[in-house]
Amino acid sequence: MPFASPLALLGLLFVPVVVAMYLLRLRRTETIVPSTLLWQRLAADVEANAPWQKLRRSLLFLLQLLLVAILAFLAARPFVERPAGLARDLVVIVDTSASMAATDVPPDRLGAAKQAAIDALKDLPSGGKVSVIEAGRTARIVTTGTSDLGRVRQAIESIRPTVSRGDLGDALALAQQLAIQSGDAEVLVATDAALAVPPTTKVDAPIRVLRVGDARGSRNQAIVALAVRTSPTLTRSVFVSVANLDLESATRRVEVWGDDRLLETRTITIDPQARADVIIDDVPADASILDVRLVAGDAADTTARPDLLAIDDRAWAVVPPVRDRNILLVGPGDPYLETALSYLPNSRLFGLTPAEYPAGAVRKDGTSWDLIIFEGTVPATLPSTPILAIAPPTSSGLGEVTGTLTNPGIATLGTDEPILRYVDLSTTHIAKAQKMTLPAWARTVIPGPKGAPLLYSGVRAGLPTAVLAFEPRQSDLPLEVAFPILLANLTGELLGGSAAPTTAVKPGDPVVLTVPAGAAGLHVVAPDGNAVDLLPGAAGGLTVTYTRTDQLGIYVATPIAAPAASGAAGASARPSAAPSVPAASGAASPAAGASGGLGQGVDASAPIRFAVDLFDVDESAIAPGPNRVLEDLGKARIAPGASGEPGASGGPAAAIDPAAGRPNARDELWIPIVLLVLVGLCVEWSLYHRDAVLRMWRRVTGRLRRTGGA
Amino acid sequence: MTDGREPDRAAAGARTATSGPPAPAAKGPDGKPAFLPSDVDPTVFDETFLRQLERLLLLMRAPVRGGLKGGRRSVKRGQSVEFADYREYALGDDLRQLDWNVLARLEKLFVKLFIEEEDVTITVLLDGSKSMASGRPDKLQFAKRAAAALGYIGLASEDKVAVSVLGGRSARRRTALRGSGRVFRLLADLSAISAAEGPTDLVAAARHAAAQLTGRGVVILISDLLDPGADRVIRELASTRSELIVLHVLSPDELDPPLEGDLRLVDVETGESIDVTADLATIDAYRGRLAAWKESFAQLAARRQATYVDLSTDVPLNELIFAELRRRRVLG
Repeated sequence: MPFASPLALLGLLFVPVVVAMYLLRLRRTETIVPSTLLWQRLAADVEANAPWQKLRRSLLFLLQLLLVAILAFLAARPFVERPAGLARDLVVIVDTSASMAATDVPPDRLGAAKQAAIDALKDLPSGGKVSVIEAGRTARIVTTGTSDLGRVRQAIESIRPTVSRGDLGDALALAQQLAIQSGDAEVLVATDAALAVPPTTKVDAPIRVLRVGDARGSRNQAIVALAVRTSPTLTRSVFVSVANLDLESATRRVEVWGDDRLLETRTITIDPQARADVIIDDVPADASILDVRLVAGDAADTTARPDLLAIDDRAWAVVPPVRDRNILLVGPGDPYLETALSYLPNSRLFGLTPAEYPAGAVRKDGTSWDLIIFEGTVPATLPSTPILAIAPPTSSGLGEVTGTLTNPGIATLGTDEPILRYVDLSTTHIAKAQKMTLPAWARTVIPGPKGAPLLYSGVRAGLPTAVLAFEPRQSDLPLEVAFPILLANLTGELLGGSAAPTTAVKPGDPVVLTVPAGAAGLHVVAPDGNAVDLLPGAAGGLTVTYTRTDQLGIYVATPIAAPAASGAAGASARPSAAPSVPAASGAASPAAGASGGLGQGVDASAPIRFAVDLFDVDESAIAPGPNRVLEDLGKARIAPGASGEPGASGGPAAAIDPAAGRPNARDELWIPIVLLVLVGLCVEWSLYHRDAVLRMWRRVTGRLRRTGGA
Repeated sequence: MTDGREPDRAAAGARTATSGPPAPAAKGPDGKPAFLPSDVDPTVFDETFLRQLERLLLLMRAPVRGGLKGGRRSVKRGQSVEFADYREYALGDDLRQLDWNVLARLEKLFVKLFIEEEDVTITVLLDGSKSMASGRPDKLQFAKRAAAALGYIGLASEDKVAVSVLGGRSARRRTALRGSGRVFRLLADLSAISAAEGPTDLVAAARHAAAQLTGRGVVILISDLLDPGADRVIRELASTRSELIVLHVLSPDELDPPLEGDLRLVDVETGESIDVTADLATIDAYRGRLAAWKESFAQLAARRQATYVDLSTDVPLNELIFAELRRRRVLG
């Protein structure tokens, strides 16, 4: 039998030490007795009639010698060799996509996958190296090129599930990088093969799939869409779409909770591989967070089979505040503009001619305007409201007009400009625009030729202000889809719209959050309570990016007050006597301008909330897929014994089988040996202490007998 | 023929009761009872025990033949006033013993026979070998107490009591005492006994003691019998004309040795040693051996018409006297 550490057999030198100790131990204690008469007579009896006594003493001695020998044997690490079933360089990929949380196998698919990967390691050849990759939304190398199997096991066990769609292609690409450096590599993929996106990356090494999950494990229903809509009458409705990914119909109950209050429940029956939509009207106006839960159809029915994937049975949505906003359009009248503005939700549009302003601008109810749009005109005195100026004819506090631009081209647009979100201006042509100089309080949103802004926005004297350098009708913008979107984004910023994403964020996607004016950054708290402080990369930066969206639920971002926040730029500062617009509850401040002012009427400390939801039908389809989808991406295995010599007909040489020179796998025998040692120790202990135990027992029983007799 | 009359025990008992030691006084300055002489060990005999012993008498199993008259029945027909039996007249008989009434009735000549009371010597043979000076409680001390108690009973019964110590190869016999007034002399003699130095040949000492015996009496051997020839000791003493009582005394440590482990046992008397591994099996075997050994003495004693009593030194003396020895019919 071979030994991994044969030098440890030198431990057998302890055997004579045990013998010496045994002999020395026989030094006897002298005891004076009245007479040795009976003992001498007894000695003859013992010698003649009790061979067990000698045998027992010898047995202990022999047992101790045997234990020393076994321990030396154990330290030498004997092993049994067998052909290795894996390559010398092994890349283990563990799928951590959301479907791996399915519970059709105990404890769940990810737990089973990790165990399968660990079990497969026993086929590794001696000295083989292992790299472990975690395949979630992106691939992450957990450990690389180590032959320490304990560390590999630890690395595999440390892998945690994710709630996002998995990308095995990314992991295979990493595996490819690791495999091409080795002449004998193999990729092991522990997955349920329920691939939302089948990978296409080829790997120059064989791929073996350790598939987990019950082949019949498709029993799952999921919330795949959730939206909150506001009607023109300002009532809100919740739209929920539930998909049944199972092959049988399912009855589930939809619960809608608003701010931890149960608002409504609906029982739905969904056909297999179909969707069912639920619309719930009249969501209370004060509900800010909606939590939709998919539960068992009948709570009392214990025979109903539970859903195999729980993480897609719950979704969240942030309810935008409802407030009717009053917009005043001062200008000669532009039907395109009026039409686009009329589509704005929660908005009422009023119009005045320049001659009627400002006299006609006084509202009957005493409230002030949320936004005043000046088209082709600029008043002598600017109002203390958010302003959108379109093609101002002259210089004013809104900006300096230095000329006109003819057919100005649109320069490169910024990619993270919130006003340009979903706005495609690639085909927009402008005939004429005012040539403006960018004021200090503004940022360029749409750059024009030679730095002249075509649209800029910022906070002027604490008031959100934007200037569009051209009239829409002087361009083909009104004819494009981008126009209403641009207007919605622009007015949203000017009116104090949410700085948070308006739609649910996908798990793992980064989120760009606008830092309110006057705040140094954002303190973001995840659903599990973990928090992180985000500060803009540059001083005075407008946004921060939050990347830890790896949990489903509601995230809350709270502005971090600047160390020396001045009140001049705060929401409480009102340079004019005009009453403030009531702040929208829950609404975050719009993007701040360069001077860092806040939107009118927006609470600087109001938290920004956004939801992260799975909403992934492909990922919720958890039925395990075929192994071939992945195995075909790998290199075909070479027939055993291929030597690389040319064929009999002189054809091309067959590929050399890397397994030919591969070391064998070793199974060390320490476990059975340790068990043997433990059993031996127990036997030795019981033999050695048998007398003491029996004496104690006799003392106790004798005492009890005497006590009972007394 | 006998007239069936028994000796007057009540009278003997009354004599014993009135001839005991004087009433005790208070303790002396050294803490000893004031009535005890200074050469008497107060741990051997205390005042309460003395009073208890006054109620007992040694029970003799058979008449003995002795040279002196005493308070015991004797097989010898003597000249006392107590009629015992008739015998046909033989030439030379004393004519004064002829029963003229029988002659008148039966016209035959018969002489009267009378019971002769004779002296009984109670000899206490105390094993004074070194092995006796061991044990917890000490065997020699126990033997002294037993000897003192039995000796006092003998003295109170108007018997002669002699104490002989077996040590070395001889028996050192003290002067015989008579009368309950000599009890303190007995206690002093016993207090002076100490264990012999060196080995003791119990057989030779017993032979020597047997040779010192005069006439018949009662021999009480108090010994641990830890001698290879102990059975010969019993044979030697049983072959005398005295009644033999063997009190086989062992300490609790000898009856159930509290030994454990690998030991070298050294004989306190001979210095010989033996290596023993004292595990439970060995101790159990020792106990079995001990029981067989004692049984052999019991059977030997029974064959020699001796009395064998095996005792442990942790038996209280009053239990020894009032229970054990009475149960064995050594005492009445």
